[in-house]
Amino acid sequence: MSMDQELVQRVQAGDKRAFDVLIMKYQQRIVHVITGFVHDPIEAQDVAQEAFIKAYRAIPNFRGDSAFYTWLYRIAINTSKNYLTARARRPPASDVDAVDATNTFDAPELKEFETPESNLMRSELEQTIHDAIGELQEDTAIAIKLREFEGMSYEEISETMDCPIGTVRSRIFRAREAIDQRIQKVMTEGEEQ
Amino acid sequence: MTTDDNELLSALVDGELRGRELEKAMALLSADQSARECLQRYQICRDAFHGYGTKQQARATQKISAAIVLEAKHKPVNVQAVEKTNVISLPIRFWQQSLSLAVAASIGALAVVGVMTQPNIQTVPMAALESTQGLEPAEITVAASKAEALPLNSGNRWTVEEQEIEDRLNIYLVDHNEYAGVSDIFSNARVVAYESGQ
Repeated sequence: MSMDQELVQRVQAGDKRAFDVLIMKYQQRIVHVITGFVHDPIEAQDVAQEAFIKAYRAIPNFRGDSAFYTWLYRIAINTSKNYLTARARRPPASDVDAVDATNTFDAPELKEFETPESNLMRSELEQTIHDAIGELQEDTAIAIKLREFEGMSYEEISETMDCPIGTVRSRIFRAREAIDQRIQKVMTEGEEQ
Repeated sequence: MTTDDNELLSALVDGELRGRELEKAMALLSADQSARECLQRYQICRDAFHGYGTKQQARATQKISAAIVLEAKHKPVNVQAVEKTNVISLPIRFWQQSLSLAVAASIGALAVVGVMTQPNIQTVPMAALESTQGLEPAEITVAASKAEALPLNSGNRWTVEEQEIEDRLNIYLVDHNEYAGVSDIFSNARVVAYESGQ
């Protein structure tokens, strides 16, 4: 059973904390998807909130036939379309397939709606991450690259790097701490400007 | 917040926690605001790898979580209750009628089986009985009991163990067949010969 499935079961049993974790985990991706429809970041936040509330209400009926994110993604798409229809705005003709959306963050259909500011932020973050990884120890850098770029699980990384899962976990944690410090600096500077 | 706690939250972001560790992480998040902030930072870091991550994220999460707090808690699903509602409910009258039909069908089947297995039902062909005319009662009994043993289960040819009787039956059948065919009385009649050659 995946962690998402376990979290869903906890929510179904009445544990709201588990849904809080799911919100934190997926909200940025969901906002990104919704922005592809409504084009306005502030509106997208509102629609995302509505989508999460709908998901929370419907979660007792979620049977786990698909991945949780795939299910949530469909709710987000439907909520966006309803939102646009209610405001007499036309929803886009084609959607990104839910399964593709689960497997990749970089759906080209969604990139079309990015603003110059978000593009600038993105390239700045990419550079920051690149620089941070360059300063990491080799093992730590490999672990985080396998995790984030190759999408490997801890178990797969431990097999690839021939080390215990606990070691993989600490290496990824150290890498994330180092990258996080750099990102925080960039974001703080962005807010000051 | 200890380093272990931070490591735990990092693993949570990667979806690598199960059971007790997941419970521990959730308890930490609900008890410690700095743990929530830490988790958000790690999540932003992870999203940044994939081209997301904005400073608005933390505020948005709080807003959504606050909205969820207003929602009622889900009660644990009662599986038995759900299954019970899925069963099609039919009126009692339907079940009574079905039961009556089933009983009637059973009695009918028993009656048929009883008739089929009744020992004194005549399974000896009339021809065989006629051919025994003029014989002594003891001979008839023997002939009948021998003929009785054969018929139904012996393939498509009706044989009689006693050769004399079989010959007489065959002659009778051939005569009868020829008469039926010539007289046009039974032009469609088909009589199966007792012997494969006839």
